[in-house]
Amino acid sequence: MSNTAQAGTLESMDCLVTATQGVPGSGVKVEITGSSAARFKSAMEKKVNEVVVSLGAKDIDLSIQDNGAIDLVLGARVEAALKKLMGGAK
Amino acid sequence: MRRTMLYLPGNNPNMLVRGYLFGSDGLILDLEDAVAVAEKENARILVSHFLRQGEFGDCEVTVRINGLDTEYWKDDLAAIVPHKSLQGVRVPKVEDAGMVKILDEELSHVEEKNGIPVGRTKIFCLLETAQGVWNAYDVAKASPRVAAIIPGGEDLVADLKTSRSPEGTELEWARRMMVFAARAAGVDALDTVFPRVTDDEGLRREAAFIKQLGFDGKSVIHPNQIPIIHDVFNPTEKEIESALKIVAAAKEAAARGLGAVSVDGRMVDVPVVKRAEYVLLKAGITEVE
Repeated sequence: MSNTAQAGTLESMDCLVTATQGVPGSGVKVEITGSSAARFKSAMEKKVNEVVVSLGAKDIDLSIQDNGAIDLVLGARVEAALKKLMGGAK
Repeated sequence: MRRTMLYLPGNNPNMLVRGYLFGSDGLILDLEDAVAVAEKENARILVSHFLRQGEFGDCEVTVRINGLDTEYWKDDLAAIVPHKSLQGVRVPKVEDAGMVKILDEELSHVEEKNGIPVGRTKIFCLLETAQGVWNAYDVAKASPRVAAIIPGGEDLVADLKTSRSPEGTELEWARRMMVFAARAAGVDALDTVFPRVTDDEGLRREAAFIKQLGFDGKSVIHPNQIPIIHDVFNPTEKEIESALKIVAAAKEAAARGLGAVSVDGRMVDVPVVKRAEYVLLKAGITEVE
């Protein structure tokens, strides 16, 4: 398993997700910055957590730079970054 | 109707979100040429999420998968076929009926695995080599899933060892062949893209030419191309008026037990009525008094 993986871009309506493997027992930490973070942070965190749980990821730091990504784009980018980190991506 | 099918890069959320708002008849979410090799997996995941939750209006939704000669196409199908929004896959570089059969089998496998009626996913075949064009009829008949055949543009021209001209001389035979093969097989003939996105007059000329050849529509790479092609493909007021007269006269003749009738001094028989009905279909008129 590699230590860090990224998915997405900083283009409009997209977000850049950086997933980093944390130390065992550190849990899932999510940091969201960018245009929608102030207003929609809790909804975005909920979406991110849904994807993390569905993939069974543990002890992960997720840094998300948002540039207006809608819910499904956020979910897709988190999934892509996590799969890459967990070695699922081809 | 498939007057226009708009390509949307599969890794571009901005275009994927807004694509259906441009008014094309269909959308092609592209996992092939528009996506760099390093981004294939990211694009596949993004397109899969869009098919599950995205908004597409009344557009026919298709995905251009990676070619059958790549390592990606089976993963593409596994990610997209389970979603209801998907109506068909556009497959690049089809060369013969065997390739369509391989794709058909894999589609059936994925559909079955996901509890989807087998045969739901249609196939749109891109014929981008001389061999593919030569085998157009066999390709179109290779599976009941085949909905349309489409000649290649740049790839076909390269395979023909020539270059693309503004007049499209080098593609003329392939286009005629496409219409004949499509009509003989009972599928749609859809044209390749017009690459010069700022040349509106050139696009209008090409659209008029392919409409006259018998094509059902054209692939589109820029939203600005959509209204121009629709304008060419939509029946004119005069065509609609004439078609209404013909269909009404044919109905009346049938009621009186007559075969051919005369409308405005011209004999109207079955092929003329069929053509008039097609004009009305394109104009969105389904009932004639």
